[in-house]
Amino acid sequence: MMEPRSLTTRLLLLVAAVVPLIGCSAVVRGQRLSDRPDDTGRGVYLSTGGSPKPYRTLGFVQVTGEGRTVAGMVDVGDAGLDGVIRGTLAQEASKLGGDGVIHIEFLDENPQTDYERLQQAAQTVNSLASGQGQVEQRRRTVVVTGEIIKFTQ
Amino acid sequence: MSRDLVVAAAGLAALLTGCTAVNTAYVPTARDGRDPFITSGNIQEPYQSLGLLQVTRKGVIIFGAIDPAGTDLNAGFQEMLPRIRQMGGDGLINVRWNQTQYTALARVFSIFLLGMLPGEVTITGEVVRLRRPGEPARGPSL
Repeated sequence: MMEPRSLTTRLLLLVAAVVPLIGCSAVVRGQRLSDRPDDTGRGVYLSTGGSPKPYRTLGFVQVTGEGRTVAGMVDVGDAGLDGVIRGTLAQEASKLGGDGVIHIEFLDENPQTDYERLQQAAQTVNSLASGQGQVEQRRRTVVVTGEIIKFTQ
Repeated sequence: MSRDLVVAAAGLAALLTGCTAVNTAYVPTARDGRDPFITSGNIQEPYQSLGLLQVTRKGVIIFGAIDPAGTDLNAGFQEMLPRIRQMGGDGLINVRWNQTQYTALARVFSIFLLGMLPGEVTITGEVVRLRRPGEPARGPSL
C-alpha cells in the first residue's frame, strides 16, 4: 500500500511536471569583443565577423573548455565563455604570431536553466539530508572556433 | 491479414520518412532604432561590441505538434530581442542557430514516449551598438 504523499512532495512533483511544459531559458553572456573599426590598435583583435583591414590567414583554431556545475550553484573548470575566448583563444593567436581571431563561433553545449540548477541543488540537499552524501554534478562544455589572422597593413 | 498490416505500416513509414521539417522565424531588419536588428552576417557600419549572447530554450513537444514551451526558432529569436535591449544594443550580428526538429515519422512514434519529445532551440550572436557620428573610441577590449 502506498503511503500518502506530503504536501511538499506533491508540490515538487507538480512543479517537475509543469515546468518542462512552460519551458525555461538558459542565457549565457560573454564580455565584449573588439569594436569595428578598432581605433586602439592594441591587443588581439577578436570578432565574430570579418577583419577590418587586409590580412593573411595563419590558421584555424578550436578550443573546448570543460568544467562542471556542482550542486547547481558553483561552476568549476574552464567552461566559461570569457576564459576560453579572451584567455585561451587569444593566447593561441599570439603564439602563432597572429594579430587577431576573426569569424569566432561559440556554443555552450549544455547550458543550465534556472529550473535545472534549482533541481540539482534540491537533489543535493535531499541527498545530504538523507545521509547519502551525494553531490549532484553536471558536465559543462564550451566550444569556440575561429580563424587566426595577421594584418598585412 | 498481418502481412497486409506490415505492408501498410511499411508504406506509411516510407511516406512519412520522405517528409521535411521546416521552421522559419521572422525578425526585424530595419535599423530605425525601434526594434533591434538581427543578422547572420556582419554589418558595414562602425559599431561597438557589447558582448556575446546565447539563449537556449528547453521544453517538451506534445504529440509532435503542441509546443507550449516555445522551443522553435521564432520563440528563440523573440526571446533574443528584449535581451539585446537589456544589454544596450542596437542589434545582434553573426547570428547562428540550431533547433531540434523531428520528422513526421518521429512525431508519430512519439506516442510511445507518452506523446512527449524533448525540444530545444539555441541562438548565439554578438550584441553591438552602432557608433554615433563623432562618438569617441573606447579603450581596447583586452
